[in-house]
Amino acid sequence: MSETKDKAKIKEAVKRVKRETYTPVKPDTQLGFVHNNVDCIGCRACEIACKDKNGLMPGPRFRRVQYIEGGTYPNVYAYKVNMSCNHCAEPACLPTCPTGAIFKRKADGIVDIDSTLCIGCRRCEAACPFGAPQFDPADNIVKKCNMCVDEIEAGRKPYCVMACMMRVLDIGQIDSIWDGELETVAVGPNDEIVRQVKNMANIELTKPSIGFVPHSKGKVK
Amino acid sequence: MSTKKTNDDLLERLNLSRRSFLKTTAAGGAAVVAGGLVELKTAKEANAFAYEPYPKDDELETVVTSCAHNCGSRHMLVAHKWKDVIVRLSTDDGRYQRDGHFGKDSLEEPQLRACLRGRSYRQRIYSAERLLYPMIRVGERGEGKFKRISWDEALNFVSKKMIHLKDTYGPTALLDQSYAGASYGVLHKSDQIEGLLGRFLGMFGSRTNSWSVPSYQATTFSSRMTFGTIEDGNEDDAFAHSKLMIMWGWNPAYTFHGGNTFMYMRMAKQRGCKFVLIDPQYTDSASAYDAWWIPIRPNTDAAMMAGMAHHIFTNNLQDQAFIDKFVQGMDAGTMPDWAEGKENFNDYILGTYDGEPKTPEWAENICGVAAKDIRKLASMYAETKPAALKASWAPGRNAYGEQYNRMAAALQAMTGNIGILGGCAEGVGKAWHAEAVAYPYDQYANIWFQSIKSDRWAHCVLNYPNVKREEIGLWQRQDETDGQIPNIKGIFWQGSDWLNQLTNINKDLEAIKKLELVVCMDSTITPSGLYADILLPIATHFERHDTALPWYKGHYYIHRPKVIEPMGESKTDLQVFTELAYRIGGDVFGKAYNPKASRDYFHVNDNVDEAYLREWWETKVIPHQHVDMSWDEFKQRGVYKFNLDQPHVAFRDQIENGTSFQTASGKIEIFSGQLAQITDWKKTMYGYEIPSIPKWIEPWESLNSPKIKKHPFHLISPHPRWRTHSIFNNCSWLRETYEQEITVNASDARRLGLKTGDIVEVWNDRGKCVVPVYVTERCMPGVAVLHEGAWIDLDENGVDRAGNPDMLTLDEPSPAGAFAYNTVLCDIKKTDLEHRPGWDKLATSRAHVFRRDL
Repeated sequence: MSETKDKAKIKEAVKRVKRETYTPVKPDTQLGFVHNNVDCIGCRACEIACKDKNGLMPGPRFRRVQYIEGGTYPNVYAYKVNMSCNHCAEPACLPTCPTGAIFKRKADGIVDIDSTLCIGCRRCEAACPFGAPQFDPADNIVKKCNMCVDEIEAGRKPYCVMACMMRVLDIGQIDSIWDGELETVAVGPNDEIVRQVKNMANIELTKPSIGFVPHSKGKVK
Repeated sequence: MSTKKTNDDLLERLNLSRRSFLKTTAAGGAAVVAGGLVELKTAKEANAFAYEPYPKDDELETVVTSCAHNCGSRHMLVAHKWKDVIVRLSTDDGRYQRDGHFGKDSLEEPQLRACLRGRSYRQRIYSAERLLYPMIRVGERGEGKFKRISWDEALNFVSKKMIHLKDTYGPTALLDQSYAGASYGVLHKSDQIEGLLGRFLGMFGSRTNSWSVPSYQATTFSSRMTFGTIEDGNEDDAFAHSKLMIMWGWNPAYTFHGGNTFMYMRMAKQRGCKFVLIDPQYTDSASAYDAWWIPIRPNTDAAMMAGMAHHIFTNNLQDQAFIDKFVQGMDAGTMPDWAEGKENFNDYILGTYDGEPKTPEWAENICGVAAKDIRKLASMYAETKPAALKASWAPGRNAYGEQYNRMAAALQAMTGNIGILGGCAEGVGKAWHAEAVAYPYDQYANIWFQSIKSDRWAHCVLNYPNVKREEIGLWQRQDETDGQIPNIKGIFWQGSDWLNQLTNINKDLEAIKKLELVVCMDSTITPSGLYADILLPIATHFERHDTALPWYKGHYYIHRPKVIEPMGESKTDLQVFTELAYRIGGDVFGKAYNPKASRDYFHVNDNVDEAYLREWWETKVIPHQHVDMSWDEFKQRGVYKFNLDQPHVAFRDQIENGTSFQTASGKIEIFSGQLAQITDWKKTMYGYEIPSIPKWIEPWESLNSPKIKKHPFHLISPHPRWRTHSIFNNCSWLRETYEQEITVNASDARRLGLKTGDIVEVWNDRGKCVVPVYVTERCMPGVAVLHEGAWIDLDENGVDRAGNPDMLTLDEPSPAGAFAYNTVLCDIKKTDLEHRPGWDKLATSRAHVFRRDL
């Protein structure tokens, strides 16, 4: 982390942010996650792989496997909703950033934070309806999932996807995920894909780039 | 093909041209070669990586290795290291095997992806609790006060004490409590049968062995009696072929039992397989496989199975042709001639002997499952082919747990689901057989002078010499020492945290005071270690050369090079025992114990370890298993995956080709000839009678017992997902994914005025612990669930503030040796007693309790 922030650079970045806030970057292609809420055993190997990859101490959890359960004994149900950053089409975090540290990549739509510009003000953390940006007290800045851009650029997939023991988490071009056209074992032969599940923030807020195979109790009518 | 060509091909095929491979030089020493240079620039544009500096994988050195704890699986770990530091771990991505490429994940050779525990290894090896130097106790035993000493002082202390104890108390003075915490390599092994410690103490001439396996003694016994072997398991890919899968107390979503079992089960589901779960909890396995959940009172499984057998017999749903051909003692017609007057299973179930037909209604009274559901499940199981009844280990960790496993085998046999693809005879579940031993396994291996049930050591120590042989499950000996009670004066822990893990900890704490020597060899300062006299720092599997085996399913070997140099002053187990042997018995003992080593092995071990491993690969693996990969190529790739012609199914040969089962009769022995011929039970290691056919026997504590007036909850302590027994309890990444908490049903919680997060005390006459409570509808009323393995943290009154259920368990095993971990009644109430989770809870986000939609 650089100790002194480059003031000229911040000015320049703020200008860019304003421009992009009102006209979000239209990526050439948008990558997104797909997760099977039913077949996921909730083991959290993806979470630990993410912690290890990003060198995080206890506290920030870029990827969160959320356990949902309900019903009344003995008629109960349970499923998992697995989310990190949704690399939204209209990211709520981006316009809140006072230093222009947050940016959306033109090539693949990944939303990332430039750690050399972040001052740790945590506005983005408050703005995100999904809890993706998280403050890291160890470094005094906000961090979040960047879909392992280094791995993607090396022609591989993010650590979480490659950690999934059940093969129920994957990435792909988001339209093809929603259309059910992505070739992936995360989605079973008779599974449908939805963009919104129960208890999840309204997708109209930010247009998150994520698809789910929903549990019958997790479907939104 | 020249080595160079092989290398070039590898580089190309594995697309690893930017990586440097681990090279073992001719000298065998240098495990570290320079990694790619890492450019650590500070970003100048708003497109920098999220946190700089950040070494990318391709800028680091890649080393294939594996996890190594005692869990139920074995998966690949790939270390990405910079100089001598592991920067991060990834896992199998298809690149490392022969003909592999990124993303290769075929059904025959699936990726060996590590679980959350494996992925957190960096936290374990670099933890604050890491033991780095030899230490000697300076305070009272258990007080936790130690000072650092040199290896020389430490080893002289241990060897002198050993000689003194053997001279004074004889050949049973030293108790071998090595276990599998450091095990499952082929060279550096810790267990009771093939372990390094057993051979060392055996050669030394003073060793009491611990024969019962805490996890699965019930099914080990059952499968030995029924099938004549514990290799009753199918390979993981066979699980993709079932039409019905009954998960009896089985939660692979927590235990990850065996290679890719859980993934193949998902495939079965996609192919239309129906799943059933019989368990007091609606587990994550039930939800992921959309199972029909049948909640059952703990410890009553054998009764429900008897009810199913009754329905099958009375409706003539059994596979009589299979029974007649392969089974002994299922009914009167399949009894051996010599066994006139002995009981057969069918007549027992029908009530011929005791006038009590084991009807589904009879079973309902005991197990709490509606008779109509027992009937429905019995019909489903008998009429669906192929169907897998997977009888897991947990219901066997009970009083008379062996009856549950024997009863399960009877159901598997009467429906003809043994030896066929999609069926299941598990059981133990051990399947494909690996070549497991690379160190000298000879006439000195597993020598013992007495052998006891593992959880009876404290009873033996506290009551010596007024102990009866049946009380401690003394194994029979063929010499004049048969029946002599061992005079235990010292304990060795190698890869074991047994003080924290065996039953009835309070009794263990009493007994350990009476010992004169307690040695703990570990890489971590464990709760047991705090009660030791001497702590010896052992190199983790990242710091020594070995090869990994599948744990019990999966067919592959993973190379385990020395990824980093041993931390602190750590040495390997084999180095420590070899050095002790030299100090105790000079060249004679030293050379006999470690024939390939010379006197300097304690300081230079790489060449010798390499020689053992190469010999193992070249004289055992290659010829016995038709492996066509050289040792050098294996080392370079890091993994060898077998490609089997067809899924391995236990007993396929017996069923398809009529070869004999390994029992005395050559048949599946539902009526056990061996048990039927025992006349003096006291002289067996069991100590007490075990019926020759599977029977329902009332456990000493259960929800059906009058004792529930005092202690109304039945406590079970399953294996957690976020620890392997007690291993990884100190890893904060894992700790923030869960809570060590006691799970109770919402109706019980309402009655007790409890809500999730409240601190409760859990107690019975044996002990007490303090934990938070988790309130859910997913648990059967009257049942409390507290996962085993939390590190004990006792207050001044002996109350455990960390929530270890073994404060409450009973140290009386089942006759066959099964630990009665799950035969426990207790009570629960809200408390003001202090709870200490053992780590900084406030440091974490709490997403795991997020949106529990009650």
